[in-house]
Amino acid sequence: METPAENTDPVYKNKDYGQYRELFYSYDEQGNFGKTVGYHNEPDRLVLQQSWDLFNDRTEEARQKVLAGTASPIVYYMEKILADPLGLSMMAGVSFWKVKLHFKPFFFKRLSNKTLAKYAEAFNITVDQLKNFEQ
Amino acid sequence: MIELNFEHRQAGHCESGVTSNLLHYHKLSVSEPIIFGIGAGLFFSYLPFLKMQHAPLTSFRVWPGMVFDRATKALGIKTKIQRFKNPVDSMNKLDEVLALGFPVGLQVGTFNLPFFPPEYRMHYNMHNMVVYGKKDDIYLISDTVVENKVEISYNDLMRVRFAKGTFAPRGRMYYPYQVPSNVDLKPAIIKGIRKTANNMVEVPFPLIGTKGIRFLARQMRKWPQRLGDEKASYYLGQVLRMEEEIGTAGAGFRFIYGAFLDEAATILKQDWIKEVSVEMGEAANHWRKFSYHGSRNCKKRAKPEESYDMLADMLMECADMEEKVFRKLVKIR
Repeated sequence: METPAENTDPVYKNKDYGQYRELFYSYDEQGNFGKTVGYHNEPDRLVLQQSWDLFNDRTEEARQKVLAGTASPIVYYMEKILADPLGLSMMAGVSFWKVKLHFKPFFFKRLSNKTLAKYAEAFNITVDQLKNFEQ
Repeated sequence: MIELNFEHRQAGHCESGVTSNLLHYHKLSVSEPIIFGIGAGLFFSYLPFLKMQHAPLTSFRVWPGMVFDRATKALGIKTKIQRFKNPVDSMNKLDEVLALGFPVGLQVGTFNLPFFPPEYRMHYNMHNMVVYGKKDDIYLISDTVVENKVEISYNDLMRVRFAKGTFAPRGRMYYPYQVPSNVDLKPAIIKGIRKTANNMVEVPFPLIGTKGIRFLARQMRKWPQRLGDEKASYYLGQVLRMEEEIGTAGAGFRFIYGAFLDEAATILKQDWIKEVSVEMGEAANHWRKFSYHGSRNCKKRAKPEESYDMLADMLMECADMEEKVFRKLVKIR
């Protein structure tokens, strides 16, 4: 199917999205395969935006939980880097069941600086930022 | 300062594009679809027990790395593939190989890749790109997704090469170092087609190949009752993302495979493959139609007849069309 010539469709909520042209293969009625360079067409953008919506919703939800004191800042930063608990355990080098424990503020408060540094490196922030959650 | 005379050509699928470009540098012109076909890149698997981005994993291609391995092996090209424990070692080795005059393919994670389109910057550790030069601390990159050549700094490159998480690249780098000038494509193509067809219709496991597509269709009918509208719509979106997102060149590699069959018919001089390629193209267009109707569902703009039942029916039709194609291809000589 054809790809739109110009990127004018406001599917993406973020303005930086959808500015790159890619190569697509296509097939027409005459039985020829062709190549076109163009932007993603609307259906593809819709599903991609759906995914970003989910990530943003989850981050916002986690933020509310942290502010309410029912979750540790690790949950928020994990959602912010689009990771899941298993992915985070691989990124930070902390075992999966420990990561699950550290989601609770009770265990988070007892974390050593060494472990906090591991998490901070995975989130690409400083330990202070992780300790003093202000967002 | 090193800058190799590397020609950047944009491609639909990152790995076969990178392989094709690397071979082109070594004066062996093989197009991207041919590499994809020889490497038996087409596949289907639906793995509900593995979650990716909070939804079941649906894959339209083989595991990453396989296309390069299979294609170069079938063509009799000598390659070197390395992984590293220490990031600094890996960068030193990269410099060494560049100094020898070989462009190098790298497996990287996309989350921290600075020149990558921002809408795709999720955790995906199986992206491929080529390094073809170095200026002081800046590396020159040819990424098949982006239109032009790009650059990346030393620290950024080290970070993306050692991205962590599932399928961590661990600094994987690969390059062909001895490429014969004349290659007989025929046996490689036949082998590749047979491998793909075998994977798609002959493997007795319900989650992969055309059986997998049918399994997914049957599951899809139950999604709205089992998961609720919100989650069902997200799960459907995940299937479409894997089908249409970056690096598939449309319709989950079906277009690129059709283009391969089209070229293969000319090389092998077998006319019936040409007819099969037409069927493959039609199947690919049907997948496109599926994603068009499916995406309306994700936006909650669906007409009543665009329900999950109808989408499942479309998937069943896709499976039938592909089964017909691969039943014919499996008999190739």
